[in-house]
Amino acid sequence: MIGWIFTFLVAVATLIALEGRAADTYTPGDAIHGKFNKVARPFLVKYCLDCHDNETKKGDLSLEDLGPVDEINAATWKSIWAQVALREMPPKKKTQPQVIERLRFSDWIVGELQSAMKDKGGFYAHLDPQKGNFLEHDLLFGPLPKDIKLAPSSSPARIWRVTPQEHITRLNELINTEPEYNAEKPGLRTRGDAVPTNHGGELKLYFGVDNILQWQGGTVAYATSVKSVPVVLSSSRKVGFENYADFQSVNSAEATQILGMAKDILKFMADGPLSLVQFPEQITDDPKTYDKVKPAGDLRGLPSAIVYSTKVLRPLTPVRDLMKGQGVNDERLSAAVAYLFEALTFRPPTAKESADYLAIVKDSIGQVGKDDGVIMGLSAIFLDRDALFRPELVSGGKPDAYGRVMLQDWELGLSVNHALRYLKPDQALRQSIIEGRMRTRADVDREVTRMLGDDSIRKPRILQFFREFFDYDLAGYICKDTAALAKTGVSNRGESYYRAMFDATASDDRLVEIILEEDKDVLKQLLTTRKVVTTKNDEIYFGRKRTPEEVKAAAAAKRAEDAERRKRDLAELNALGAELAALKAKLEDAALDKKTKEALEREARRLEARRDRIEKDAKQKRSDVNLDVAPAKLEGEPTYARVGHRSFGAGSMKPERILATAPVGERLGILTHPAWLVSQSDAMDNHAIHRGKWIRERLLGGGIPDVPITVDAMLPDEPQHTLRERMRVTQEKYCWTCHQKMDPLGLPFEMYNHAGLFRTTELDKPVNAAGEIIDSGDPKLDGPVNNALEMIEKLAASERVEQVFVRHAFRFWMGRNETLNDAPVLQAAWHAYRDNGGSMKALIKSLVISDAFLYRRIERGDVAKATAP
Amino acid sequence: MLKGMFVGAGALLGSSMWPNFAQASTPKASHGALKRVIFFLQNQGFDPVTCIPLGMKNSGSLAGAKLPEPIQALEPYKERLHIINGLHGLHTSPSHSAFFGALGGYRGSDGVPPSGPTIDYELSKFLPETLLPHLCIGMDSMENMTAKPTVANLSASGAGQPIFMHSNPNHLYQMLFGGISEGDIRKQHQARSNMFDRIEKLAAAKGGALPSGDKQRYGQYVQGFQDINGLRERLSGVSEHLRRFAPKVDERYTRPEFETDWHDVLLDLGIAALKSGTTSVLTIGSGRGEIFGAWKGLGVTEQGHNLGHMKQPDNPIWVKIRQYNMRMLVKLMQELESVPEGSGTMMDNTLIVYTSNNADAQHTSGKTWPVMLLGSGNGAFKTGRFTQLDGSRPINALYTSILRSAGVDCDRFNMSEKMAKKFDSGTGPLKEILV
Repeated sequence: MIGWIFTFLVAVATLIALEGRAADTYTPGDAIHGKFNKVARPFLVKYCLDCHDNETKKGDLSLEDLGPVDEINAATWKSIWAQVALREMPPKKKTQPQVIERLRFSDWIVGELQSAMKDKGGFYAHLDPQKGNFLEHDLLFGPLPKDIKLAPSSSPARIWRVTPQEHITRLNELINTEPEYNAEKPGLRTRGDAVPTNHGGELKLYFGVDNILQWQGGTVAYATSVKSVPVVLSSSRKVGFENYADFQSVNSAEATQILGMAKDILKFMADGPLSLVQFPEQITDDPKTYDKVKPAGDLRGLPSAIVYSTKVLRPLTPVRDLMKGQGVNDERLSAAVAYLFEALTFRPPTAKESADYLAIVKDSIGQVGKDDGVIMGLSAIFLDRDALFRPELVSGGKPDAYGRVMLQDWELGLSVNHALRYLKPDQALRQSIIEGRMRTRADVDREVTRMLGDDSIRKPRILQFFREFFDYDLAGYICKDTAALAKTGVSNRGESYYRAMFDATASDDRLVEIILEEDKDVLKQLLTTRKVVTTKNDEIYFGRKRTPEEVKAAAAAKRAEDAERRKRDLAELNALGAELAALKAKLEDAALDKKTKEALEREARRLEARRDRIEKDAKQKRSDVNLDVAPAKLEGEPTYARVGHRSFGAGSMKPERILATAPVGERLGILTHPAWLVSQSDAMDNHAIHRGKWIRERLLGGGIPDVPITVDAMLPDEPQHTLRERMRVTQEKYCWTCHQKMDPLGLPFEMYNHAGLFRTTELDKPVNAAGEIIDSGDPKLDGPVNNALEMIEKLAASERVEQVFVRHAFRFWMGRNETLNDAPVLQAAWHAYRDNGGSMKALIKSLVISDAFLYRRIERGDVAKATAP
Repeated sequence: MLKGMFVGAGALLGSSMWPNFAQASTPKASHGALKRVIFFLQNQGFDPVTCIPLGMKNSGSLAGAKLPEPIQALEPYKERLHIINGLHGLHTSPSHSAFFGALGGYRGSDGVPPSGPTIDYELSKFLPETLLPHLCIGMDSMENMTAKPTVANLSASGAGQPIFMHSNPNHLYQMLFGGISEGDIRKQHQARSNMFDRIEKLAAAKGGALPSGDKQRYGQYVQGFQDINGLRERLSGVSEHLRRFAPKVDERYTRPEFETDWHDVLLDLGIAALKSGTTSVLTIGSGRGEIFGAWKGLGVTEQGHNLGHMKQPDNPIWVKIRQYNMRMLVKLMQELESVPEGSGTMMDNTLIVYTSNNADAQHTSGKTWPVMLLGSGNGAFKTGRFTQLDGSRPINALYTSILRSAGVDCDRFNMSEKMAKKFDSGTGPLKEILV
């Protein structure tokens, strides 16, 4: 009762505090109330109707008769919001609204759209990460007008659904034992890293494959024989940040499929590979013993084609103890429930949760017996709310004067853990939570510092940030036209291009990690390093597409070389032939003793093998050479990349890499790597618009309004013209307003073709990689550039670019867009990064100990409800 | 275990549609006349020589033609058959199976996740409402069906969202007819029901304290359980109706001699789901979209990959497999014909699409992708014909045609204008097949 009264008083105080603010000040986040005629109409009259009245109707748009926001005119209002928030309108030469005037107007539109669209799909555009930059950069990092009063930063109380990657990694922990960290070979897959996608780019959970000693058939047969289950939770986004707290839920289809997976997982937890085989003899350390008893015929693609070792490689858990032991008792049942609950939700169950699940398991056992009942009952835990969502609800906490409550104990511990990791809290963090040492900012500082300082504690979420920030991980999913691919100079045979792209993503993952290990000028390094992590294939992908003249010259040189080699080979073959003939003549001598005869036969076989090898090599060398590309010379220290080794048989995806240096004057940082370039390309060509959009949004902090629905966004299909030439259509006046923000930033990457190869010519003419930075917000950056390298160097030296990077880090770690109230948090994070020599660790730490991360705000409506009698 | 894919079931569970079975297939406003679609995909390719009547080079009526041996069982049903040759799937990478790309009309390959919804799922959203809008069944070797009773290779509800197909008929029976079952199946069904009820209650209880912004999102999650429980309850609620259609569980379920025993009963369950009005889209994956599979019950001792390396024409093994498929198609038609619907029968309002997830052969570029349609879909599709296309229109155009016949106004399915420039010489449906 006392607690309730307190909450009520705090809520009232909060309301009074909020309502009590002076009317002429602006506090971000406060609702802007007011009728259309009072708030919006005057703004439209003052700033818009000059050009957009019924008479002038510029751009074929009149706002004169636009009324209050409703379902019908919502699209127009959304467009007005974007134009005003981005300061596109009113045009620069016209009178501009005051900052507060503009902010109030745009807040009013958002509020009205939310309310008008409430039961019609809602309005969420302002929450979308792609609209994060609609908030003016200079307001966040520059001085604020004096009448803007910020409220202390916090994030909404919320539940946050786990990502597909987190979910699979969590389930993987139940059935597979991943290798421990090896400081000698960092980069190799380690426990705590994310489960990589398989050879085709699919995210799957594999059962028992580490035990496989032998199988029948090739890689496809292997992929079919082994047990795997595709990821169930879905993610609707591919580009940019995929996982804001308010993005995802779990639907009925996913829930039923999770139960299916749960059954398979629990059976494997209990029985290991025995749950996968047709015959117990398949489990042996000597595959020959199975060969003797296995069914005759072709077993390719069947589970019975596999032999599993007897080694216990899966984790042995209380679930196994329960299933293996005779009968059931409360102790073993409770242990299994507790183990599984914590493995899936990352925290121990409460007494009530234990009792609830124990009752479910007992009931199931009572109805269908122990074996089925245990599995059925325990499956329910896989669907617990906290196994699929991470709560940050601060229920029971005491709000401060601003309605904020600090996360505590398990919620705080799991939030901090989630900031870095996909596994459950390690022992140290778990103890801290249990012992009440996860309650203060200092507690968080201590744990984050500890985790960031230990490489053996894997932190896949940091890597995920860079994947989502750069978007270099989409390349393998870009479906290429076979003929268009062949013209780039790379092989278009089979799946080789796609494999190369998945390899390239893994390589860039590793490069990010290497730069993070140094932790100095991280963003600048990523943008400008010439270090590259490569496979043998990358000699082509990091190579240079030859000009037609060079191809001719290379072909001539090759012919000459072939002729020379053939001459040498012929001479050697002749000599070998003569030697062989002589030997055979000797062998015909009946008087030869056995020993001499055997020796001569051995020598003949040796000569024949040599002859065969020469002939085979000659054939091989001719077909293997790619004359279209001057391969890059890539040499360096060995390193490793994390690849999905489980899907296609041993050795099908190789982790071995080289840390090499890219050719001078051709590459500079991740934006010039095939993984990124191809990720921003399409089936036929480069995508200069996407590349430009990426630079505009992710580095310059600019925003692009949505493409108007009236625009037929197509470039002409003119194979005889370069992309730059075809993009002339975007320069029409109507299009150029937006396209000037993107195209001149994307065209410098025309120095690469759409498979990511460096090129000096395009369609037999010198390639034009010129571009321009226009209206970046930092006058020092603006101006023409000759190519991507020049542009990247300029950008990498920019303070503004660094700040925009920090804004993106904020979004990723907070799971939401920044508001003006977050300005102090962003500034502190940027200073932490900068003052520590461009340290990502310092940046992350600053974010995680910030109010935005630690405090949750209970919405005013919810406070009122919570305090209502 | 309820492994079904109740995609969107909750959203479609209109109380007015059930138990009034006669109205179970009431079309939504603006819907076309098509009421149900069956996709039957045999793996390893469908060689056009094995379905095009000998000597028939150009489009024309099938009336005077003699169907080739592998599909001879369709001879009596020729007037409702449409053999289409010359669609392409060059963009789907069909060698060794296009996987999700076969029904999606996009690049698919081993291990490649779906990049969009497949046509069967898409249709299930637009066809008349049913309790379980889309059901997928997969036929494979006995071993694979027992070791991996659900796999997802062919159907998807969206990018990265595969739909599982059922291969264990006991599980599927339990899902569809658990409410009217007896003995062990009944017990399992009951236990599962209890568990789901408990999960729903637990989930709902944990949603009480959520902020208003999250309530809707969490509501979807709780709604998911309500959908599952609701489906079960609704199925139970119409148990008397379902009882009329439920197949008899015999030894083929519990002690199958060959994999074909399970293939047969899986088909029976699919038919029962269609006839009872439980589903409107049935996808059958013979070989489950992969390049293996077994048909020992037909006397085919070879299995798996080798089957794909053989030429299909005049090959006794492939004749057997194809004839088996045809018997299944005939059974589907006969069963649907036995149920009156409107002024005719269920079959009158149905379209069956028979093809392969591998285009014309196991190792293929997808240059030609033969398809057979059975039924007119309530008069929407031309029948009794062979149509030879020029190879310039993709399988997506066929899917567009089916969507059109279901009342969906679209010009392309899963193909951007940019892709179409390269891969589609036309736009909209295939005029050669629509009436």
